Amino acid sequence: MNGAHQIWLVAAREIRERGRSRAFLGSLLLMLLAVAGAIVLPAFLDTGPGTKDVGVTGTTPAGFTATLEAQGEAVGATIRIHRYDARADGEAAVRDGDIDVLVVDARQLEWRTTADEQLKAVVTGAIQLVAVRDRAEAAGMDADDLLAIIEPVPVINLELGQVQGRSPDDETAAFLMTLVLFFAISTYGATVLSGVVEEKSSRTVEVLLARMPARNLLAGKIVGIGLLGLAQIAAIAVVALVAASLTDSFDVPAVRGSVLVWAVVWFVLGYALFATVFGTLGSLASRTEDASSVTGPVTILLVLGFMVSFAAIGSADTTWAQMVSWLPITAPLAMPNRMAMGAATWWDPLVAVPLTLATIAGLVVLGGRIYTRAILHTGATLSLGEAWRGASPPSRPDGPVTTESTERQEEPAVEQTTTREARTQLVFAVIAIAVGGIVFALTADFVIGVGVGAAVFALARQALKVWGPKGGHKGDAASGPDREPAHPWGRGAQEENELDLMARLAGVSLEISRAPLVPNSPDRHRPTITTVTCAVLARQIVSGVVAPYADSVAGSVGGLVRTTTVCLGAIGAPMRMAPV
Amino acid sequence: MLEFDAVSKRFGSLPALDACSFAARPGRLTGFLGPNGAGKTTAMRAVFGLVALDSGVVRWQGAPVGPEQRAQFGYMPEERGLYPRMRVRDQLVYLGRLCGRTSATVNRTVDIWLERLGLSGRAGDRLDALSHGNQQRVQLIAALVNEPELLVLDEPFSGLDPLAMGSMSEMLADVAAAGTTVLFSSHQLDLVEDICEDVVIINAGRVVRAGDLAELRAAVPQRFVTIRYRGSEPDWSQLSSVELLDQHEGQARLRVEQGTDLAAMVAEAQATADLVSFVYEPPTLSDLFREAVAA
Repeated sequence: MNGAHQIWLVAAREIRERGRSRAFLGSLLLMLLAVAGAIVLPAFLDTGPGTKDVGVTGTTPAGFTATLEAQGEAVGATIRIHRYDARADGEAAVRDGDIDVLVVDARQLEWRTTADEQLKAVVTGAIQLVAVRDRAEAAGMDADDLLAIIEPVPVINLELGQVQGRSPDDETAAFLMTLVLFFAISTYGATVLSGVVEEKSSRTVEVLLARMPARNLLAGKIVGIGLLGLAQIAAIAVVALVAASLTDSFDVPAVRGSVLVWAVVWFVLGYALFATVFGTLGSLASRTEDASSVTGPVTILLVLGFMVSFAAIGSADTTWAQMVSWLPITAPLAMPNRMAMGAATWWDPLVAVPLTLATIAGLVVLGGRIYTRAILHTGATLSLGEAWRGASPPSRPDGPVTTESTERQEEPAVEQTTTREARTQLVFAVIAIAVGGIVFALTADFVIGVGVGAAVFALARQALKVWGPKGGHKGDAASGPDREPAHPWGRGAQEENELDLMARLAGVSLEISRAPLVPNSPDRHRPTITTVTCAVLARQIVSGVVAPYADSVAGSVGGLVRTTTVCLGAIGAPMRMAPV
Repeated sequence: MLEFDAVSKRFGSLPALDACSFAARPGRLTGFLGPNGAGKTTAMRAVFGLVALDSGVVRWQGAPVGPEQRAQFGYMPEERGLYPRMRVRDQLVYLGRLCGRTSATVNRTVDIWLERLGLSGRAGDRLDALSHGNQQRVQLIAALVNEPELLVLDEPFSGLDPLAMGSMSEMLADVAAAGTTVLFSSHQLDLVEDICEDVVIINAGRVVRAGDLAELRAAVPQRFVTIRYRGSEPDWSQLSSVELLDQHEGQARLRVEQGTDLAAMVAEAQATADLVSFVYEPPTLSDLFREAVAA
């Protein structure tokens, strides 16, 4: 039995079981319908420049209708002429919506409510042209001379801010790619997380690990879900392209040659990186409810990386964008968009890919150790430190549990811990302010600076909690009834102030509950400072970073993207697990 | 043959296994006994590499156990668990294939066991649609899908009703009779006494008794006398070299040294009480267990 075969069996199971689950098929169908609908519907609703019905009544100069049709053809519209002998009949047709406009005596246009600007230009142009020709003829001028006179002078438009060879399409492509990559990586990363927790909470994992090494199980799961994810993205892309080409509703942005291939490569790398982290952290939690508190810091990192990568699209040529596209956390999002912008040099991927690969390799080694040690531990959520040291008793301690940990919680020790915690918090705050300041300096956007600073602070605190000896929501007896719970909603005044500040930044109103919290009650999972920070970030992305780009995206895609960016708010809540 | 050779494992300051050495022989049922926290689960997990041992080695057929050997083992952990939403048959075939069996072989084995446990009709159902008892049966099949040479079961009888216990013990006996080495832990001492040829008793991580059950019982120097009588409670202290263990509702249990003159003892007992029956026997497994663990 070799490892590769086992990994493949695990991956095949993931694909088969998830692929035929109602949740997966339902969500895929919904997504396909949404994408196809977003592309096809506008094409149906808006007949576009396609066919226009123009009514004509009264005296009409000779050749007017032919000129009108020719003018329409020039802008890609078919003009259908309807002749009305009585003006009243024509007006009735306008009121009924049978025709778009009625031309009276080639001098007056009658619309139903508001004028169709394009049609107005076409009809007006035709009227002017016929009039000019008639007057020229009356003046005895030759038709060829006339053509020479009205021949337009070609005017060249130069956009000096644009890098040569870069089209707006590149920006659209970079924007879409970052969005899709972020959604794909976070969605399938969260699926890996829920899969790991599901196996652990259902105790399936012990049966499995008796048959194969933990690394094969984790690797198989990541490979299987990744392949399923690629297939899902491919299906959506195919449907989108088919719908777009059938309805001809918008131009598929022309993408630089190998960018699509690179997008797939970066999806694989980014997904492998985050799925490894999510899978590893998932092994610390025994229940689905605990999973989100364990992965909080990584979720923030991912959102932060997304935000920074987004900002990097606009300044793809700067040094800081290059740095961002090298940094393994942001590279999977930032590098493909710099490539789509044509801003990456040929050797940029040669730096970023090995760096990311090395990070993945390191994470696999670290993660493998933690996963193997933590996955058979049940009960309270393990802290990363405990899992790393591997000094955990068997899952159901049959015997006398060592009492050391409880004895250590004596009064002086608690006080000492409090001082140390306060000092750590101060250090975190200084670092956060520094990082926020740097980001502010780089982006010249004060709100983004504050957002990043706050996020760094929350991230550091979360990381400390996950690592520390009393990590995550433990609610264990050792904390004692009088100890304050780790960080639930409505805790001490300091935390309330932080939450309030965050909420004001996010522009949401908060109700802070002062009800005492019962350990292990569902209340423990009310929004925490992490959640609110994420909401702030999401709002930042929507209002500050994404919206300007959304404007640059044409027609229906713009609408679709706007809807999607609003949906980003959902990321504020720690990614929800949908057990498959 | 499965051998534990001086296997040790500590969790912090807590010794879970302390130089454990014992063996489980093929074709026999070996009962693995010990009070809670004695290290049974840790020992069983050690067979499957689920705990990293501090020292010592677990051997199968003389060679240290590795992934190749484990592909020939079956395991039913104490914490039962399979994918709740996966179909019974798919799940079992998947587990069998993880052991390196071909699809065809596993399918055949799964079908045989589903048929035998009366689950053929439920093969296409999701596991969580099955009753608790049926889920337990599926869990047992999960341990048997690779036709294992060694079967390790952690508390296979816990949570079973008396009927299910009966069929489970029959099945284990059948599997052992086919030449499989079977090691299982249990707190049901009466049951273990009925079906096991061998027992291993551990306490605080140390093996305190191990071997053939009949030999272990015979080797104990004490014998037990159970006397049923009519009338009021007699004063057994008049009997020579007897220790009263328990007396209630017309029944007394006494401990005597091996080699006691039985005829004389019966005569003395008759003089003391109105005897109904007099049974002289080696210690039961319960006696053996209590004595071994108390030491």
